[in-house]
Amino acid sequence: LPAGLSQWFPALEVLDVSGTGLTEMGTELLSLPCLHTLLAKNNRLGGSGSLPKGLGQAPLARSLRVLNLSGNRFSEVPPALLQLRGLRSLSLGGNRLHGIPPDIQELHSLEFLYLGGNFITAIPPELAKLPSLRYLVLCDNKIQSIPPQLAQLHSLRSLSLHNNLLTYLPREILNLVHLEELSLRGNPLVVRFVRDLTYNPPSLQELAGRTVKTRNVPYAPSDLPDSLVRYLSLASNCPNPKCGGVYFDSCVRQIKFVDFCGKYRLPLMHYLCSPECSSPYSSASQSSTSQSESDSEDEASVAAHRMQKVLLG
Amino acid sequence: MEQPVQTETWKAQSLEELVRILHQIFAEDKVSVEEVQALMESYESNPEEWLQYAKFDQYRYTRNLVDNGNGKFNLMILCWGEGHGSSIHDHTDSHCFMKILQGNLKETLFEWPEKKGNGEMTKKSERVLRENQCAYINDSIGLHRVENISHTEPAVSLHLYSPPFDTCNTFDQRTGHKHKVMMTFYSQFGERTVCVSRECGVPH
Repeated sequence: LPAGLSQWFPALEVLDVSGTGLTEMGTELLSLPCLHTLLAKNNRLGGSGSLPKGLGQAPLARSLRVLNLSGNRFSEVPPALLQLRGLRSLSLGGNRLHGIPPDIQELHSLEFLYLGGNFITAIPPELAKLPSLRYLVLCDNKIQSIPPQLAQLHSLRSLSLHNNLLTYLPREILNLVHLEELSLRGNPLVVRFVRDLTYNPPSLQELAGRTVKTRNVPYAPSDLPDSLVRYLSLASNCPNPKCGGVYFDSCVRQIKFVDFCGKYRLPLMHYLCSPECSSPYSSASQSSTSQSESDSEDEASVAAHRMQKVLLG
Repeated sequence: MEQPVQTETWKAQSLEELVRILHQIFAEDKVSVEEVQALMESYESNPEEWLQYAKFDQYRYTRNLVDNGNGKFNLMILCWGEGHGSSIHDHTDSHCFMKILQGNLKETLFEWPEKKGNGEMTKKSERVLRENQCAYINDSIGLHRVENISHTEPAVSLHLYSPPFDTCNTFDQRTGHKHKVMMTFYSQFGERTVCVSRECGVPH
């Protein structure tokens, strides 16, 4: 960025430096108090100096609303970026990202997140802690599964998952009541019935976490390290209504097919807290093929109509 | 050797002229597909002329009506944000011309699914259409999916449908099952239209 930029244009609100071959954006950014939109797509950003140090303390951290860094060379989300607390829209499409940092949850004003066209293999459950997220694009990546916690994104209107490596979806996806768009094409979604019961015994941490949650053991942030406070907030409820239990990472996984009014069959993965827990609508966890399929129909009837309109085959 | 039928070689110098010539062509009883395709392709995209119709939506592509061709055709501009794409769809027995005004669009052609079919639909071919190129499709050629595969550039396309239609079928690629949808306009003649019903399928 040219030296003196902030002196000549102190009131700058929108800066578009796309397609200029930039390899780094320096300290000039720190002195632009009114900047709300920064477009820097199709450059050569991605190295360690791409964003200036001290970003978190600059006025930009509060004023910047829109940041477009698509078409650059970022192999990880730069930590400095996560200090932009006022950010509403972030695009890192067409970069070289291999993952999403859990600290993405720091961008608590985020409404629009575009991460399509990277090499992302997994989604951290912390992504679900973005309360205002309306538009999430994860297409053209290498994602193998969606964490069930993603269903906590209550504001989500549009979810783009096409061209990934998904074989099933978590059944909690049906809880996204405001979802209007869902793209799933180009995933190796399981079409035929698969009965797959796997169970990893829970760790001591998980057992302790379950006890704290199910017995409502009171705790305050001062009682525990931050990492454990966060861990406890990621508990998922067992879908068995008679159970009332929770699970963290250890659960039984079972694929059920939900038939949306005869048009689509989406493989939805059910997570249960233990093999003894059966899913809400089947009598036993080891049900026969036809039993499971008809149970699936009952289960889907409420969400089916809504999801049928949403689904883009 | 038979003399080839003489078709006019038009050159539309502006969007307005394109619309005018289209009205002229469609006033006749017989319309040649090649003639319309050549005309559409001859217009060199000038954003100043169509920017007023190019209204983007954050979540999905938009259809913006430009001209309703005295009932003979619909001319519309579609705006595709990064990653936006359509479902696989048919064209309700109409002719469909699609010209790229900005960016690129990937068109994937599919075979019609078997009547009793319950398997993955067959991909026939795919291509990326560049600026100012014009593609043509109708139901006898097959079905297609159109998508903006760019993660950095939005795309804008100009579509002509004759006769006009407001419903079509969308197809599930994995099973071939079809589903009828209603299509609506995001804007008409440059003015934003409010969508009343939630039943919009919006392929084209």
